[in-house]
Amino acid sequence: MNKNALKVAKFEIIRQLKKPAFWAATLLIPLMIGVIYFISFISSMSVDTEAHLDENTKIAITDDASIFEPSAPYIINGDKEYGIEMVKNGEVDLYYYIPADFAETKKAEFYHVSEGLDIFNMDGEILKILLSQNSASRVDALDVIALTGSYEIEDHKITTDGSDSNAIGKAIIPILIGATFFFFIALCGNRFLLTVVEEKENRISEMILTSISAKHLIVGKIIAMLVLGLVQIAAIIIPVLFLVFAKRNDAIVAQILSMIEIDPLSIILNILLFSASAVLYAGVCVLVGSMVSTARDASSFISPAIIFMVFPLYFMQMFMTDPNLIVQIFTYFPLSAPISLMLRNIFGTISTPEFCIGIVVVSVSAVVAIRLAVKTFQKNAINFSIVKPKLFKKS
Amino acid sequence: MAFNGKTVIKDLSFTVAKGEIFGLLGANGSGKTTTIRALLGLYKPTGGELLIDGKKFNPEDSKITVGYLPEERGLYRKENVIDTMMYFGELKGLENPREWSEKFLARVGLADKITEKVEKLSGGQQQKIQLGITIMNEPKLLILDEPTKGFDPMNRRLLMEIIEELHKKGTSIIMITHYMDEVERLCDRALLLKDGTARAYGTIEEIKKEFNNKSLDQIFVDIYGESYE
Repeated sequence: MNKNALKVAKFEIIRQLKKPAFWAATLLIPLMIGVIYFISFISSMSVDTEAHLDENTKIAITDDASIFEPSAPYIINGDKEYGIEMVKNGEVDLYYYIPADFAETKKAEFYHVSEGLDIFNMDGEILKILLSQNSASRVDALDVIALTGSYEIEDHKITTDGSDSNAIGKAIIPILIGATFFFFIALCGNRFLLTVVEEKENRISEMILTSISAKHLIVGKIIAMLVLGLVQIAAIIIPVLFLVFAKRNDAIVAQILSMIEIDPLSIILNILLFSASAVLYAGVCVLVGSMVSTARDASSFISPAIIFMVFPLYFMQMFMTDPNLIVQIFTYFPLSAPISLMLRNIFGTISTPEFCIGIVVVSVSAVVAIRLAVKTFQKNAINFSIVKPKLFKKS
Repeated sequence: MAFNGKTVIKDLSFTVAKGEIFGLLGANGSGKTTTIRALLGLYKPTGGELLIDGKKFNPEDSKITVGYLPEERGLYRKENVIDTMMYFGELKGLENPREWSEKFLARVGLADKITEKVEKLSGGQQQKIQLGITIMNEPKLLILDEPTKGFDPMNRRLLMEIIEELHKKGTSIIMITHYMDEVERLCDRALLLKDGTARAYGTIEEIKKEFNNKSLDQIFVDIYGESYE
């Protein structure tokens, strides 16, 4: 690493750390994002919460409570284990088990294969449709329960080998990585732009470029901004970790902790994706900053780039199911790739080889963006704006 | 040297000897700053070569130290004075940038402004800080583009003292100025540029002789008069 680039990085890091605005943004922006996304998550949950009975869906029901007519469709003679086996083998898509004590427990069970988080899956509710259709002409106690829908359906997501798919446990680390990247975008974007245009806007370029090459100046700045981004993220994560540690014996915290699936390969791939995505974002911001002369110009140019990057978030529901063509395009288009890959990883709709290809796409794009940014900065370093500089006041 | 197909510097050739003060003169837009920017690699010349000590300028080559006070003045507005000077000192490879900066600030009457933010200083005070940054590594080549612009007579005198000190130490100085009295008093040789070409080049005496011993002021008016009419 070049000595001068490190001197630039040191200067930029120290001056930012001294600014109260840096720490205010560190604490306030995540809070604001959290509130906005909580609200939008709650509203998106109400988008489609009705079950739809599709003719092509293969369904099986074991009815130990004898609510259905024995001749009713979907009813099988096999027991619960037999039904689960049918799901594992792919003979049926959805399997429902109604236990003999259903009238007391008011609980039925639902089994289906799902590797992903699949939070908007309403297939469990199909049982309610079938039960209400079946009971409409009768009035015994069980039928009342069935008609009023006053019972629970336990959702069991299993893998093809029959084990619990632990989709939530698997999604926790990808969710953390995705949230971290989102904070990174929100916290660092403006700073990346300002730091690149600062020398041009303040007319320092000519003087500083007789002491350091444009390449090392910009590399130093990129290093500094990445480090500052990590400092801000650490400032958020460390208190959260302390809080989790302090509350580790609380029932909910203990349950979440026990669910977290530690898969070293997955962790490494997630960290690689985050790193490549952060560098790509830095490269794009620096590229935009290098092309213009003022922070104001930079802000208007960076907006389309950021919109492209966060675009997949507006189509989140598409990422929850099997990827269609649009999702595939988002996944491998350099600007939208980071968030698309993170979303698909969260929802379990991407295979490891596909995920690796995505990481390669993001890494290559990051290298290209950084190289372009450095070249553009070198070319435009003294491309001052025609706006009168504010630096010198009349003495 | 051309921009968007328009030639701004053509057939220009000159040398600056070691230890001399060289005046680069010309009306606004004659190509002085462009020449310097090309010399420092900030612009890529479309033809020809600009060399310092026989080499193309590389800001990180410690053997060719250059100090450049550009016409476009600026500093990190939100930073304080000492941090700004120390940053440049570190980039220029000074062993103890704080000590040097404190001494310089005391000399130019800004000792009490060390922790002041740059934006709080007057234009003249900021200019002194820029001058300090420019000369802090005792450059072998010092390029001053309109160095006295915006200075009051006291500060102008202080600047001249500093330039003379560096000259005595063997620094080569290229000075771009519109003040002909400064050129006559300080410069060993000069070049007058008009429309990107040299209209006069040599020692001050040689230039005067070529123009019938007129003053530099009058020579300037003679050369550029037509374009202003």
